[in-house]
Amino acid sequence: MTNTTALIFGHNKYADEIVVNVQGKYQYVKVYSLHEEDLENSSVDIELFDLSDEWSEICEKVDIENSIAFCVLEDTAENIFLTISLRAHFKDLTIIAIASNKESANKLKMAGANKVIPLVETTSDIITNMLEKPISSKILHNILYEKSALKIAQIKIDKDSHFKDEQLTSIDWTRYNGIIVLSVMHEDMKSEFIYSSKAKHHVIREGDILVVVGYEEDIKEFENKIGSKRYVNWSHWSW
Amino acid sequence: MLKRFIIDFAYYLDTSKSYQKKKRFFYNILENDKNKYKKYIDVFMVMLIFVSVGVLIREVKFHVNDYLMFFSNYVISFIFFIEYILRLWLSSSVSKIIVARAEHDTFLHRDVNLYKAFKKILKVKLSYMLTPKAIVDLFAILPFFHELRLLRIFILFRVFKLFRYAKSFQTLSSVLATKKFEFLTLGIFAAVVIFVSSILIYVMEGNNPKSPITTLYEAIYWSIVTISTVGYGDIAPVTQEGRFVAMLVIIAGIAVLAFTTSLFVSAFTEKLDEIKEVKTIEDVSKLKKFYLICGYEQVACEVARKLSLSGNKIIIMDENQERIEKAKKDGYITLNYNPGKVESYEKLNIDMAKHVKAILCLRENDIENVYTALTIRSFNKDVFILSLLMSDSNRKKLDFAGINNVVYAQELIGLITKELVGKPVAFEVIHELRSENADVKIDELGITQRIVDNFTTVGELGNKDFRVVLLGVYKHKNDRFFFNPLDDLLLEVGDYLLVVGYQIFILEFEKYLHTKVRND
Repeated sequence: MTNTTALIFGHNKYADEIVVNVQGKYQYVKVYSLHEEDLENSSVDIELFDLSDEWSEICEKVDIENSIAFCVLEDTAENIFLTISLRAHFKDLTIIAIASNKESANKLKMAGANKVIPLVETTSDIITNMLEKPISSKILHNILYEKSALKIAQIKIDKDSHFKDEQLTSIDWTRYNGIIVLSVMHEDMKSEFIYSSKAKHHVIREGDILVVVGYEEDIKEFENKIGSKRYVNWSHWSW
Repeated sequence: MLKRFIIDFAYYLDTSKSYQKKKRFFYNILENDKNKYKKYIDVFMVMLIFVSVGVLIREVKFHVNDYLMFFSNYVISFIFFIEYILRLWLSSSVSKIIVARAEHDTFLHRDVNLYKAFKKILKVKLSYMLTPKAIVDLFAILPFFHELRLLRIFILFRVFKLFRYAKSFQTLSSVLATKKFEFLTLGIFAAVVIFVSSILIYVMEGNNPKSPITTLYEAIYWSIVTISTVGYGDIAPVTQEGRFVAMLVIIAGIAVLAFTTSLFVSAFTEKLDEIKEVKTIEDVSKLKKFYLICGYEQVACEVARKLSLSGNKIIIMDENQERIEKAKKDGYITLNYNPGKVESYEKLNIDMAKHVKAILCLRENDIENVYTALTIRSFNKDVFILSLLMSDSNRKKLDFAGINNVVYAQELIGLITKELVGKPVAFEVIHELRSENADVKIDELGITQRIVDNFTTVGELGNKDFRVVLLGVYKHKNDRFFFNPLDDLLLEVGDYLLVVGYQIFILEFEKYLHTKVRND
């Protein structure tokens, strides 16, 4: 089941950027703030919340089970508290949190966030890649953020899939219909590079996810050919 | 007539390009520390000094080969003489003084007074000749007249010449020069104590037949040995009065020693930062290519760490003492300068185009970053500048300041979340490729002439044999990326192969590309 609502806790520049980028993907995007003054000074609809562990009001309005939460409070301690509070109440909720550094990223993971984005590390990764590998950085950026015709997609192997029960190495992935298969994710939730020694003996099973790069039409053709579809499911996804 | 000739000749020299070029050449090899050939001249001179001192030592007890003696006495002296003359020539410009005088007098409608010009020339040349360094240089030539036995001792002045080439000595003398007044006071105090105690001890002991102090010279010798706390014990007072004087001198000696030590220590402590700064600047000018990071806050720490992990040289510039201390602790070359001042870069004395890979303005403050970028652009238009952007409303200002690349963290987070919620697995794969700890990497392999000679098309590369995925070929010439190219795509010099694979296999593949020889 896919998520229908994005809950953004915290109102700041990060929240604004997230709203802009995810509003096309969710039916509802709700922003919650701790501060009353945000209600007046914002262009988006904001609701108030507090850290008192009282979620019934939000539960009444939102289908929490089918939501994704973004914890972007600026105060690290508050953000961790919010994450742990959400996790304590909603076992299956997907929580994405922003951390200022690695240390708070670890704490947020311990608090139950499914995915943590460490700001400093991410920014510095981007900067070093820009400087040291400018070409690959530009191309990966374009692929990832859909600024070029090249796309990256994840394709799930269904029970009728063409590749099912075939050995990974027996297929010429690199030259398959104009697309490149980069990696495969097994049922154990670990993704393997296509040329890794583990992947070498892997037999493709139903439920495996292939990560492919290619032009939209080629990816579509690939999907049709192998009888699988692009797939996103956060509900069982955890790192 | 002669006057006219001298003035014309001075004008000729002053405007002659070839003469000025020659003078600049000699200045560079003798005086300019930044000239790459100077160190060879210095090493050569130091070797000559060691040869002549070696000859002097051997000569004390053994016979020295006649050729070596000739070399030491005449050849080396002659080389030193040439050096002395060249330094004297370079110390000031005679032609400039004459030209300045001629212009001054002509301007005032007077007859050119060459006498005044010569007087000035004599004054400036003499003032150079009387500097300690010039005196040492002159004495080092004197062993040329080695037949005069006394003059042979002047070979020792050649050792003093070493100081000219030893930078640490120059640093030491510059440090001590800051405490001139204190050393003078100490010197006067010590001299007075020595003078008074010598006379006293001479008066007390001079007439005593048991006392070893019989002359004033011996009294002075005893005083100096005692005040310096060396105390050989070869001469010692025997009378009660003499011993009383000795006690006073010993106490004064302790004071002098303590005072001298503290002077040295305080002079060095005060100058330590300056000495370190000079050393840092020297180190920086020796670096071939480095990243200059302006500002050392959280993102800068991480960027510096990552860049240095991949073998890059990093220089951190920040005006904040606390942040610079942190950078120092993290092991980087640091400069406690304000990145927003041209002077900070001038001090470094580097060629930006040659030495700097990129300048990173990583203060988490847009105002500071714009200021730094504008400062750099005011004297260099080409160096690559990357900056952090903290607020999107300032983006235009950063563009105006001439920053080549702007990194806006908030925007990145927005894009990342978009990708993360849409394709979490794909996102993680790409993220892993970029991450520093991952085994699987994405890399760029440049196509060289050698590779083109051996591999004409993509199909010949054989990357699959190395378990390396060829994502595509980037054609630098037309800024185009050929994703998953067909086998017949031609490779050209300047192209880049974008490959994905285990680091070790990529390295093997790269090695193979560079070493394979075509078997036609």
